[in-house]
Amino acid sequence: MGTLERASPGTGFRQGSAKAMEFRETLLSSIRTLRSHKMRSLLTMLGIVIGTGSLVSVMSLIAGLNSSVSAQFQSVGTDIISVSRYPWVQMGNSDAYKDRKHITLEDAAAVGRLRSVGMVAANIHTRRHIAHDGRVMKYTLVSGSTAEYEIIDNYLVEEGRFITDLDVERRRQSVVIGADVAGELFPVRDPLGKEVRVGGRRFTVVGILKSKGDIFGESLDDLVIIPITTFQKAYGSRRSVVIDCSPAEGVPIERTMDDIRQVMRTMTGIVGLALLVGGIGVMNVMLVSVAERTREIGVRKAIGARRGDITSQFLIESIILTGIGGAMGIAGGAGVALLVKAVTPLPAEVTVAAVALAAAFAVVTGVAFGVYPAHRAGRLRPIEALRYE
Amino acid sequence: MLIELRDMFKTYEVGTQQVHALRDISLSIEENEYVAIMGPSGSGKSTLMNIVGCLDTPTEGSYLLKGTEVAALDDDELAEIRSAEIGFVFQTFNLLPRMTAFQNVELPLIYGRAARHTRAERVWETMDAVGLRERAHHRPNELSGGQRQRVAIARALINRPSIILADEPTGNLDSVTGEEIMQVFRGLSDAGNTIILVTHEQYIAEHATRIVKLLDGRIASDTTT
Repeated sequence: MGTLERASPGTGFRQGSAKAMEFRETLLSSIRTLRSHKMRSLLTMLGIVIGTGSLVSVMSLIAGLNSSVSAQFQSVGTDIISVSRYPWVQMGNSDAYKDRKHITLEDAAAVGRLRSVGMVAANIHTRRHIAHDGRVMKYTLVSGSTAEYEIIDNYLVEEGRFITDLDVERRRQSVVIGADVAGELFPVRDPLGKEVRVGGRRFTVVGILKSKGDIFGESLDDLVIIPITTFQKAYGSRRSVVIDCSPAEGVPIERTMDDIRQVMRTMTGIVGLALLVGGIGVMNVMLVSVAERTREIGVRKAIGARRGDITSQFLIESIILTGIGGAMGIAGGAGVALLVKAVTPLPAEVTVAAVALAAAFAVVTGVAFGVYPAHRAGRLRPIEALRYE
Repeated sequence: MLIELRDMFKTYEVGTQQVHALRDISLSIEENEYVAIMGPSGSGKSTLMNIVGCLDTPTEGSYLLKGTEVAALDDDELAEIRSAEIGFVFQTFNLLPRMTAFQNVELPLIYGRAARHTRAERVWETMDAVGLRERAHHRPNELSGGQRQRVAIARALINRPSIILADEPTGNLDSVTGEEIMQVFRGLSDAGNTIILVTHEQYIAEHATRIVKLLDGRIASDTTT
């Protein structure tokens, strides 16, 4: 004992107050605190993991859906726009299109509401056997459609009528048959009012189409048209719809196409919510951490810590938390997106943008939501902090 | 003069009421004095210690520490003075529980911006001075009360402060251990340190060479033995 001499009485106060504490010390101290509160650190990170994770997975799914819209436009005729999941001519294997957005009747309705769009017709197709009185046509194109299809796709009715709004509304078992079908199944009799079986289901012939001839050796008359609602009831509503539409009067076709693209993109609002929830989680835990370490802050201040020393310690803690949480979230979110892609028909595409945005989000959350608690910690008055139980 | 308090008041606002914790305190303490501040609870001794220790500033009056007016300083300037000039020893030790004894003792050096390569040597030297070299890598919860208070004393000494402020340093210790700790302070005083001891125990106060008694925020007596 007693070996400690007062080294140099009267050394005066330190100079150079602006000198910052070594970053290494602040960092080590933060890591030590986080490691000693493993459970709390983990739970805090969970908020960020979920935030960034949902960000990456949602963005990946949206990117997957959006990438499908881009290439699916073609002009049919001079002023008809066709929106479909698959292009008319497929190159290579069809896997390239399987991730594209599934187009629904709701999409068709949304397109129909656009001001720049004139007329809209939705249709779905499959192939089925058509039969009447022992005669069968194999793998005939069955098209489920609406009344507008007649005009947009330029069908002419030879006899009877086309599908009407009432047929669609009531899901009637009405069928309009192509010239080939009429000729093959009804060589002598008048098909109008007769019953045919489309894939085994009974339909009544209400109209016969005028022949369109053939293209590249394929007949355009080997088809039947039924109401789209009846089609969905009979063959399911999971098939992707093709939307054919015309621009409104006097609107350039390019503008209409731009508008349609907008409609087909999915909402991105969900993402914003995920960010906020994660950020508030971090702030909450950091505030709790400040409160429960009030006494520690008091002690640190009593032994010479400045406001900035305390503030930066807490700020670095929250940045480390969100950094690690963000990395875990990005990995997890990408994993979820790829899993969804693998086991469901939903498309997904993990983009650089999604990862970058999530990383930026994590860092920004760490700083933005860490600043306030850190500032509060730094501002604590030492005597009050020391008195805190 | 190391410490010079002149006509100092400290007033707190509690709701709409004003509480005069300290009234018209004038007190001078020279280097290497060993002063005990005594008084019943509510007498203002803790407030006085907080002000002398630069944790708080007076409402009125002047506090000169080594000739510098402390009453006018801002938060960070006070922090610097605490770092360089004051060493605190608390009743409840106030060690940081997640750090080893060594790290606790090192902390004031870090806040004092001491270069890293000089720190370890200083810490060992100080740990030796309080006789705790062997326990350096234990955490506070692995140490006895007396050992914890020695760590706290080492932490208070590490920056070679002008004043060691001890607030009821034996309050949480048994009488034998408390006596040992008082011997440490005796040694520090003999080595030339200035010590201010806050206590309400007469037998503890008697270790000091000067006893200042407070009552209702005023100095009731000031006797040098």
